[in-house]
Amino acid sequence: DGSGSTAKKYSRDFLLKFAEQCISLPEGFEITADIADVLVSANISNSRDSH
Amino acid sequence: SSATSKPVVHQPHLLENSWTFWFDTPAAKSKQAAWGSSMRPIYTFSTVEEFWSIYNNIHHPGKLAVGADFYCFKHKIEPKWEDPICANGGKWTANYPKGKSDTSWLYTLLAMIGEQFDHGDEICGAVVNVRGRAEKISIWTKNASNEAAQVSIGKQWKEFLDYNETMGFIFHDDARKLDRNAKNKYVV
Repeated sequence: DGSGSTAKKYSRDFLLKFAEQCISLPEGFEITADIADVLVSANISNSRDSH
Repeated sequence: SSATSKPVVHQPHLLENSWTFWFDTPAAKSKQAAWGSSMRPIYTFSTVEEFWSIYNNIHHPGKLAVGADFYCFKHKIEPKWEDPICANGGKWTANYPKGKSDTSWLYTLLAMIGEQFDHGDEICGAVVNVRGRAEKISIWTKNASNEAAQVSIGKQWKEFLDYNETMGFIFHDDARKLDRNAKNKYVV
């Protein structure tokens, strides 16, 4: 943009390219009981192609 | 089409800011409990890859329980009016029928973490409120009185979402004093 900004800018299309590569929860992510209800069940990869 | 099938997951793409997902459980809400007391941080991420690792494993707004509030705020900014960085701020809000906000929620997150707003420094974070008949997405900002910055954010957000309705900006201070009677200070 010519402003000389150092901000790390990523377009939507660029970010979307990574969606399929990062399926697993981050290492060390703790699923405590109180947030379990926000999380999709662990076997998410099996349910993906059910459409 | 790529010439190589080798994934590049080992070269994480750092984001300009770190962001924290927060969740407020409807089950924990009660009239006795102070607002926000059941709100808790879920995970803080600072790379594109970490974002997707979380996003791909959480329910999107259409699947969250009625009453749920899901937040994505810059690290160290609490999604509360009382947070000193939010105290003088306000919010733009986009309204959706029940079950229709998933794509806009994702596009809002991507625009924020990808620093697509000209006045990104003004942004605290975003929240989606899941209610019985509707879903509401808001972007919280820091200095509500800075009209030029707020209007710029509102206009850009509408473009990113391809949102055709009128969008209003409410000062947190008005919301605190007037609750549902708070009026839009800016409109785009």
